[in-house]
Amino acid sequence: MTHVMQPETGPQSQVAMVFDLNKCMGCQTCSVACKTLWTTEEGEEHQWWCSVNTQPGQGTPKNWEQMGGGFRDGKPVPGVQPGRADFGGGWDFNYQEVFYGGQGNKTHLRPTEPGDGRTEWGMNWDEDQGGGEWPNAYYFYLPRLCNHCTRPVCAEACPTGAMYKRREDGIVLRNEDECQGFRFCMEACPYKKIYFNYARNVAQHCILCYPRLEEGVAPACARQCPGRLVFVGMLDDKEGPIHKLVNEWGVALPLHPEYGTGANIFYVPPMAPYRLNDDMSIDYETPRIPPEYLESLFGPKVHVAIDKLHSELATVRAGGTSEILDTLIVYKWQELFGPFTKDPASLDRRPEAVAVKFTSKPATPSA
Amino acid sequence: MRVQRSGADLTDPKADGWAQAASESVALAPMPLEAQPTEYIRVKWADLPYGTVPEAEVAAAHDGTRLFVRIAWADADEPNVEFHDAAGAFFPAGGDAPAATMGSAAEPVNLWYWQANLLGAKNLLSRGPGAFHPRAANGVSARSALDDGRWAVVLTGALAEASEAGKLGVAVWNGSNEERAGLGAASPSWINLEID
Repeated sequence: MTHVMQPETGPQSQVAMVFDLNKCMGCQTCSVACKTLWTTEEGEEHQWWCSVNTQPGQGTPKNWEQMGGGFRDGKPVPGVQPGRADFGGGWDFNYQEVFYGGQGNKTHLRPTEPGDGRTEWGMNWDEDQGGGEWPNAYYFYLPRLCNHCTRPVCAEACPTGAMYKRREDGIVLRNEDECQGFRFCMEACPYKKIYFNYARNVAQHCILCYPRLEEGVAPACARQCPGRLVFVGMLDDKEGPIHKLVNEWGVALPLHPEYGTGANIFYVPPMAPYRLNDDMSIDYETPRIPPEYLESLFGPKVHVAIDKLHSELATVRAGGTSEILDTLIVYKWQELFGPFTKDPASLDRRPEAVAVKFTSKPATPSA
Repeated sequence: MRVQRSGADLTDPKADGWAQAASESVALAPMPLEAQPTEYIRVKWADLPYGTVPEAEVAAAHDGTRLFVRIAWADADEPNVEFHDAAGAFFPAGGDAPAATMGSAAEPVNLWYWQANLLGAKNLLSRGPGAFHPRAANGVSARSALDDGRWAVVLTGALAEASEAGKLGVAVWNGSNEERAGLGAASPSWINLEID
């Protein structure tokens, strides 16, 4: 009865991603690429399977890091189900009045939230607020999506067995025909990256663009990123950049490793500029982003990662070379995508071809 | 419980015909914590009250092909915007299923399920508290009324399913208390059906 991912039924291989936060400019192109591809139907207005938040911040859903979930000492931690108001967004706008009502010079676009109409939160409500005080204010951007965890507490929490982790690539999916809308997955997920579709009474989350991956195409968030900062590939591919960045060099880390679920989305932590002294001279000893804040996000290994990045920078500045920095620079765009380099425009996407390929998936759990 | 044949349309809980049907007060009990299907649910709800509706008024009738089950209960709480009141009528699916847990993995029950925010009803197979799985609709439907803090719901389905089973269980979920899945209150034992 208990749906636990046992090692013998666990994934044979794991698709993973690395986001280099030193290159993220918060443009939300990943968010919009995902939005336009996957969440444009009724009930999905407020859903952003990929979203970028300014750190420090309350994020999306609001104060998600205080909502519990995950595992502690191997036991599930009770969580709170984020409600519609915690996510916010999905607003309507007075397009008719502004664009077609002859009022364009007198009024402006105003958002209205479904329900009581009040707009009190949204997926990127606290953009660019960040932390610190002038002249040492700081912030950075954090793209987030489902972590397709090694031990998905969401799937373990589900009483109907609608959720599963694919054996061939470790992607965590939900059979929407089996989902009864009970939302234990939303409570149990410590990253609070599962949304509820109130129109269809099912929970939904990032599917890591599995129909694209199956065709050799990188996920939309990665392929559309103009900053060349999103790596995709198999975690166990020892020649690939993900394995090297995560396991070999230790410069890419999971978010909140203490949540205990084994996240498979990794981040190269941000190297802050140095602090400025009162006389505006540079304090080379103190990073502007407090190390303890980074540790609160990425765990104690973040200090080693940051030191490693600084040391590689120093090597290159002194005329040396760095495989780590060459990897992170991404001279060739396609090198981001591992085995998923195919151009989606080259696929046969006639409806009949697509229907044949995807009819039976993901309805049949492969584990 | 006697299930009389009626010529009236009893799909409506406010139909006059229900005045002639004998109803029974059925005590309900929370589905046991240890039977909840996932560790997450057992941990989260270990010290929280659930299955908070203590009793329901149950009546049943049929028209020769359809069975009507009327479940009524007091609901004084303010509605929850996320979770909704619900009710179910269930029958052993062939085996010797336990009523108190709405079946088990080995002995499932057929469940006719109504939820206040959803249109119509769901026809489900329950393999224990909240371990629900969809079945073909098979004509299962529901109508409901909320008057003066009291729900009345009629679940309608195939008479054959009930007559084969010969017994009925009911369950109610208090949405205000975030009750859903196995967190409802169920009839701890079967109600024997005497179908006219």
